[in-house]
Amino acid sequence: MKSSGTCPQCDVPLRRNGFRVQLFEDAGVEKDIDIRRRILREFNKQEEEFATLREYNDYLEDVETIIYNLVNGIDVLATNKKIEAYKRDNRESIVRNRARGRTEEDELDEILQMENELNEERAREEQERLQAEKRNKVQKKEALIDELMTSYGDAKKIVASHTKVAEPEAPVAPKPRPKPTQFSSGVRIGSTRLPAVPIVPQDEGEPFVYAAPELAMDGPAAPDSERLSADGYLSHIKRVGDAERAGGYAASLGCLRALQEGMAGLLFFPGADG
Amino acid sequence: MKKILPIDAEKPTGASLISTAPKCLRKNVQSFFLTPSEEKIVAQYYECHLRDFCKAFQPPMPKAVSGTASHYFKRFYMHNSVMDFHPKGILVTCVYLSCKVEEFNVSIGQFVANVKGDKEKATDIILNNELTVMHGVHYHLTVHTPFRPVEGLLIDIKTRCPSLQNPDRLRPIIDEFLEAVFFTDAVLLFAPSQIALAAILYAVSRVQENLDAYVTSQLLASAARPQLQALVEAVRKIRLLVKTVEQPQRDVVKQLERKLDKCRNQENNPESQAYKRRMREMLEDDDDVPSYKVARVDSDS
Repeated sequence: MKSSGTCPQCDVPLRRNGFRVQLFEDAGVEKDIDIRRRILREFNKQEEEFATLREYNDYLEDVETIIYNLVNGIDVLATNKKIEAYKRDNRESIVRNRARGRTEEDELDEILQMENELNEERAREEQERLQAEKRNKVQKKEALIDELMTSYGDAKKIVASHTKVAEPEAPVAPKPRPKPTQFSSGVRIGSTRLPAVPIVPQDEGEPFVYAAPELAMDGPAAPDSERLSADGYLSHIKRVGDAERAGGYAASLGCLRALQEGMAGLLFFPGADG
Repeated sequence: MKKILPIDAEKPTGASLISTAPKCLRKNVQSFFLTPSEEKIVAQYYECHLRDFCKAFQPPMPKAVSGTASHYFKRFYMHNSVMDFHPKGILVTCVYLSCKVEEFNVSIGQFVANVKGDKEKATDIILNNELTVMHGVHYHLTVHTPFRPVEGLLIDIKTRCPSLQNPDRLRPIIDEFLEAVFFTDAVLLFAPSQIALAAILYAVSRVQENLDAYVTSQLLASAARPQLQALVEAVRKIRLLVKTVEQPQRDVVKQLERKLDKCRNQENNPESQAYKRRMREMLEDDDDVPSYKVARVDSDS
């Protein structure tokens, strides 16, 4: 089989190893992400390299315009020229950003890998537990049959004793397998990471100081709710039934409410002090 | 027999009509409408009605509900005129509203069973006036009546002033005083705790005891002298108001009612044509469906 041919529709020469597996259902999406990946490998400026937010946004918009043009086949020649011009102008910054981008990607990959491993571990444990249960059941059945066969006791009693024994057996938790952190040669698994950038302390404003709410009574103060029973106020209020107490009502609530209403406003004189 | 003036349908109230009427009729106009003192008498008379209605209510109504209803009535007629809204309808609406607010559960059916006369009309009146009353009260629906402050002060007296024997014997006198208070305007002028204190002091003086020592040294120990004096003055005023309250005379009220019938705002009178017309217009406004005829297209031309 020849390793190259031409597309029947657009006569573009194609090579066998230039094909790849389609990940997304829509071919348009595939094309888009392919172009996007190629372009963003070149246009990888970060926000810090721009003076204002406006310039950064303009840059991003330019990138999107280029991608859009290439995807939809608008002005392909002019766009390609633009890409070449940009590549020539920013060769060093592209290379620098590429190196920086790689480490970030690696971190993400590591996190993903750990999550995957966790999931696998969980699935494995689940499987083992199910297997163990099945084996257990089969064993018990066989034991029951053996006993019925060989012993001389009452059949019913044997069955009863077997079912009783089956219940109190608590499930044995599988021992967590220690994850390998080292290869046998002593090399640590997992990349050696540089220490993270120290966190800049942010200004969070004034710390909150609690101030108890003040009740504007316009009259003498009612006794504290804690002192109600000690001072004997509660003995003069209606007895609280069980149903009321179950609902959350307490004698102190009613007592305090009545006392507060009796005291509040006693010294309220509209227009007196303006 | 005075000639009835043709009333302009642009919401006539007393003052606006007086100013737009020609001068020769103005004197007559002023005697045609109710004066403020006459309005007050009518309102007071109907308030007595309200208290009687609450007292005779089945199932028995707690005092707080009655007090709240009275309060709504008073506040409503502070901002509105008896000529605009007849007290009879507002009375039952106030009681119904206060039953709801004070969580005294009565269905509308149970409620109108207590009303004499046409039950259906009463139901309509109440349900149509509910929002008006709420608006007239400026939506201040929580009313602090003096009943709970009385309880609070009694608890305090029992705890801190054991020299007064059996304060519960004061209760019937206190109840009597508070009933009388609701016939005055005291609830609109003084704080509920002040009225409660006045009630207790009145009852105490009636049984020939004295609580002044308790009041000055224990209850108001933290108050400054001028404040104490102001409170004493307030209590005195309240007791004076209660003493000088007088019920309106029945024949005077009958005459005023006849006058009211002639000058009341017909737009709010459920028996009048104007009201019925307004109701019908309100309902018709809700219909958004335009009724237009579609021209029939002849398919085979």
